[in-house]
Amino acid sequence: MTNAAEVWLAGLASTMGGQQVTAEPSTCAALATGGIAPHCVAYPTTPESVAAALRFASESGLAVIPCRNATKLPIGNPPRRYDIALSVKELNQVWRYEPNDLTVSVEPGMKLGDFQHFLARHQLWIPLDPPGGDRASLGGIVAANASGPYRARYGAPRDMVLGLSIATTEGKIIKTGGRVVKNVAGYDLTKLFVGSFGTLGVIVDINLKLFPAPACRSTWAFHAAALNGTQMFRRKLLRSPLNPLRAVLMDEGGRRLAGAPWSQGSDTFDIWIEFGGSERVIRRSIAAAIELARSVGLEPREIADDEARPGWQRITECNPPPNASGSHEVLLKAALPIDGVEEFLAHARSETGRARVPLACFAQLGTGIVRVFLLPEPPFENLFTLVERLRGAVVGKGGSLVVERWPIEMGPGVDSWGPMGDDFRVMRELKNVWDPHGALSPGRYVGGL
Amino acid sequence: MSVEPGGILPSQKARVVDSLQRLLGRDHVLYQPEDLMLYEYDGLSTHGTPDAVVFPLSTEDVVEIVRLAARERIPIVARGAGTGLSGGAVAAVGGIVVGFSRMNKILAIDLENQRARVQPGVVNADLSLAVAAEGYYYAPDPSSQKACTLGGNVAENSGGPHTLAYGVTTNHVLGLEVVLPDASVVHTGGSCWDRPGYDLTGLMVGSEGTLGIVTEITVRLCRKPEMVQTLLAVFDSVADATRTVAAITARGITPSALEMMDGFTLRAVEEATHAGYPMDSAAVLLIEVEGIEEAATEDAAQIEAVCGENLAREVRRARTSAERELLWRGRKNAFGALGRISPSYYVQDGVIPRTRLPEMMEFIASMESKYGLRIGNIFHAGDGNLHPLLMYDSRNPEQSRRVVQAAGEIITRCVELGGSITGEHGVGLEKNELMPVLFSENDLAMMRTIKSVFNPDGMLNPGKVLPTGKMCGELRVSAGAGGPGDERR
Ligand SMILES: Cc1cc2nc3c(=O)[nH]c(=O)nc-3n(C[C@H](O)[C@H](O)[C@H](O)COP(=O)(O)OP(=O)(O)OC[C@H]3O[C@@H](n4cnc5c(N)ncnc54)[C@H](O)[C@@H]3O)c2cc1C
Repeated sequence: MTNAAEVWLAGLASTMGGQQVTAEPSTCAALATGGIAPHCVAYPTTPESVAAALRFASESGLAVIPCRNATKLPIGNPPRRYDIALSVKELNQVWRYEPNDLTVSVEPGMKLGDFQHFLARHQLWIPLDPPGGDRASLGGIVAANASGPYRARYGAPRDMVLGLSIATTEGKIIKTGGRVVKNVAGYDLTKLFVGSFGTLGVIVDINLKLFPAPACRSTWAFHAAALNGTQMFRRKLLRSPLNPLRAVLMDEGGRRLAGAPWSQGSDTFDIWIEFGGSERVIRRSIAAAIELARSVGLEPREIADDEARPGWQRITECNPPPNASGSHEVLLKAALPIDGVEEFLAHARSETGRARVPLACFAQLGTGIVRVFLLPEPPFENLFTLVERLRGAVVGKGGSLVVERWPIEMGPGVDSWGPMGDDFRVMRELKNVWDPHGALSPGRYVGGL
Repeated sequence: MSVEPGGILPSQKARVVDSLQRLLGRDHVLYQPEDLMLYEYDGLSTHGTPDAVVFPLSTEDVVEIVRLAARERIPIVARGAGTGLSGGAVAAVGGIVVGFSRMNKILAIDLENQRARVQPGVVNADLSLAVAAEGYYYAPDPSSQKACTLGGNVAENSGGPHTLAYGVTTNHVLGLEVVLPDASVVHTGGSCWDRPGYDLTGLMVGSEGTLGIVTEITVRLCRKPEMVQTLLAVFDSVADATRTVAAITARGITPSALEMMDGFTLRAVEEATHAGYPMDSAAVLLIEVEGIEEAATEDAAQIEAVCGENLAREVRRARTSAERELLWRGRKNAFGALGRISPSYYVQDGVIPRTRLPEMMEFIASMESKYGLRIGNIFHAGDGNLHPLLMYDSRNPEQSRRVVQAAGEIITRCVELGGSITGEHGVGLEKNELMPVLFSENDLAMMRTIKSVFNPDGMLNPGKVLPTGKMCGELRVSAGAGGPGDERR
C-alpha cells in the first residue's frame, strides 16, 4: 500500500468515528469488480457514518462503490477508479413495521431472504424474485431496480418503494417520498434513485409497500415442440382473465439450468407457470390454463412442490451454473416488447448456434424481459460480436440489452448498457449535481457515468 | 429562483402575438381579455391572467412556442383540461398558456404489447373507451376522467378510486416525449420496460409541468377482469366504517377500490344523482373486488363478513352492471353534488396511514366545531387519501379565512400521523409554502437543484411546487369570485 493510501485510510477511519474499515487483502479481493479490487472496505453502522464516509471520499477525490453481498457487483462497466467498497452490511434493521398499513421501513443491508422470513409471520411478503435471490440485499435490489418473473403481476421495486433516505456526497441525508402508499408532494426523487446503481448517492433507508402473501401455490409446466406453439399459448394467456404469480418460457438450456426433472428433446420449449391464491382460485386457473394449452397443442404437466421450489430458485437467481466443462458464463438481460420474446429466442438460438456457443434462456411472459445465459468455451474471440449482434436485434425492436455478468477472464467486455438516447445529456447533468467529483462508482454506469 | 419572471411587457405583446399567430394561425391564439378569462382558473379558486393562450397541433409547434418564449423571456404554463385542484395550470405571473386541446390524438394502440401512445390532450376516459371493445382499459381513473387529460394526469401523477390495486399514473407510464425550456426535445423511457439510465420518466411524472412540456406519452394498457363485485356497506357510525377499512387489508384482501363517503356528503350526492344511497346512514364504504370469478366472489364474501364484524348495518351487492354504474356515478359526481349545496368548497388531499383513519375522522369533525364549518368527507379510504371538502362562501372573507385555518390544521395533522400533504392533486401554487412541513431544507434544496437542471430560469410554470418564501407555511386559497372545484366552469 502506498503512503498516500495509508494517510487517507486513517482519515476515513477517523471520519467514520472509528467504525470498521479494513484493508485486509482477501476481504478487498472478495469485493473486486471488473478486475479491480478496492483498497479498503468500510462497514458504517449508521446512516450518518455513511454520509460522513461519502463526503470524505468526495472531498479527497476517492472512488466509492456501495455494496452488500456483491450479487449486483458484476453489473456495470469496470470502474475508472475504485478505492473504497462501502458495505452496508451493518445497516440491516427493520423500522416502523406496520403490518395493518402494509408498510415498513428497512435498512439496505437486510437480505431479501431474511426480510421475507420476517414478513411471513403476518402472511405478508414483498413480491420480488430478483437475480441473487434470498442473498440479494434490499439496498442492492432497489439500487438496481432488480426484478424477476413476479414483475408481470406485481411490478418492480420502482412500484413498491414509497420513499428513501439517501446519504449524499455532500455528507447530508435527504429524504425522498414518504411512508404512505400515495404521495405526490414535490418531485419524485425516489424514482431517480431506484435503478441508479449507486451512482447518485447511497440508500440508507427504504420505505416499502407490502403485500398479502398468496395462501397457496401450484406450478405447472407446459411443453411445446416449437416456438410458434408457445407464442400462441402466451398470447391466449395474456388475453385471458388468468393472473398467475409468474410465467416463464425456457428453452432446453434453461430447462437444464432449472434442473427440470425430465428431458424432452433438444429443440423443445417449456413454459412454467406458478398460480397463487385460494385453492379454488388455483384449481380454476389450472383448469383454464390446461384448456388453453391443449387448444394450441401444448402438453401440461404438474410440477410437485418439492421440485417447483428449487426449480423457481434456479430460474430466478441466475447463479452461475455448476462449472463442469470449464465453460464460462455471460448473463444478458434483454428487455423486449411483450410480443417479441419468441422471435428474439429464435434469433438468439440461430446466432449462438452459428457461433457454437451453448445458451440457456428464460423469457418472462407478460413483461418481455428475457435472461440469456451464454456458456462459451475458450477462445472467446467471437463472443464480443455475438453479444453486439444480439443487442442490435433487441435495440432494433425498441428494447435494451444489459450485460449482467461478463467474466473478467474473458477480457474486456461489451459495454454493459448499450446505446443511450437523446435524454443522456440530462442524465449527465443530474449525475454532476449529485456527485460533482465522481466519487460514486465512476465509469460503471450508462455512457460512462 | 432569484429572478421572478413576469408576464409579457406591453411593448412586447403585439410582436409576440403576431409571431404566435404566424406560427399557429389566428384561430389558435387567444389574447383578448374576454377570451383569456376562461383560462384564468383551474379547479382551485386562485387565479392568474395569462397574456396569451395558444393551441399547438404538434411537437414542432410546441418547440417553436417554447423557443419564442425563451427568446422573449416569457413564462410558459402548460394546460390540459384545467380540472387540476392545486392551481397547477394557472398562469401565476402571466405569460403564455399552452393548451393541449388540439393535440388530442391516440397515435398508436398495440394490444399484443399492451401499449398505447398518445398525445397529451387525449381525455383520460377516451383512451379506455378506445380499447374497451377489445377487453382492455387504462387503469388510473381520476374521478374527473371524463374531462381531464392524460398530459394533466402525467403532470400531477393522478390517482383515482381504482389505483388502490393498480397503482397511480407513474405505474402506468413507460415513456415520454418532452420539450425542455431550452426548446430541445428529449425522449425518456420507451415502450419496453427497464431502459438503462436514470428514470427520467419517473421524475417527469408528477413534476406538475415545471420540468418540461410533455408532448407524447406511452402508457400501459390493462386487461379487464373477468368479474367485478361492487359492494356498498352502510354504517351507523363513521368510526365503524373507518375501522372496517383497516380490517379489510388486515384480512389479506386488496380490493380494487375502497371509497368512503360520510352521511352529509352521501345525502347531497343522493339528492343530485339518485344512486340509491341510504339517506339516514352515517357513512358508507363503496368497495370493489375483481379478478377471475372465484377470486372476486371469495373476496366479496370475506368483505361482507368483515363489514358485519365491524357493525355494518347492511351490505348490498350490485346485481347488474347498471346498478354498479349507478353506485359509481354517485361517487364520481360527488364534488359536483356538493357544489349544489354550497356556494364554494375547498377540497383537501392529505394522506395518512389507513390505520389512523378513525382518529383522523374525529379530528376533522373537531375542526367543524372549532371553526364553525361544514366539512364533507368523500375519499379514497383504502389508500388513506382523504378529501375533506370544506364548505364556505368565497364572498365572505371571514369564512374564507376560517377555511384556510381549518385546512391548515388538517394537513398538519396528516403529516404528524406520518402522512403527506397531497396524495394526488399536487402541490401547485396552493400548497407550495407548506412543503417545509414535510421536507427538510436539505430535501428541498435537492429539489431546487433538480429543477434548475431542467428549468434553470424558472420560466416554465413559475411559482409552483417549491416554496417561494413569500408566504410562510400557508395554504393559498383566495377568496375570489366563483368557487373552487367548480368543474362546470
Ligand atoms: C371533480 C373533480 C374530480 C377529481 N378527481 C380526481 C381524482 O380522483 N384523482 C386525481 O388524482 N385528481 C382528481 N382531480 C384533479 C384533476 O382532475 C387531476 O389533477 C387531472 O390530472 C388534471 O388534468 P387536467 O387535464 O385538467 O390538467 P390541468 O388542470 O390543465 O393541469 C394540471 C397540471 O398539469 C400540467 N400540464 C398539463 N398538460 C401538460 C403537458 N402536456 N405537459 C406538462 N405539463 C402539463 C399543468 O401545467 C398543471 O400543472 C379531480 C378534479 C375535479 C375537478
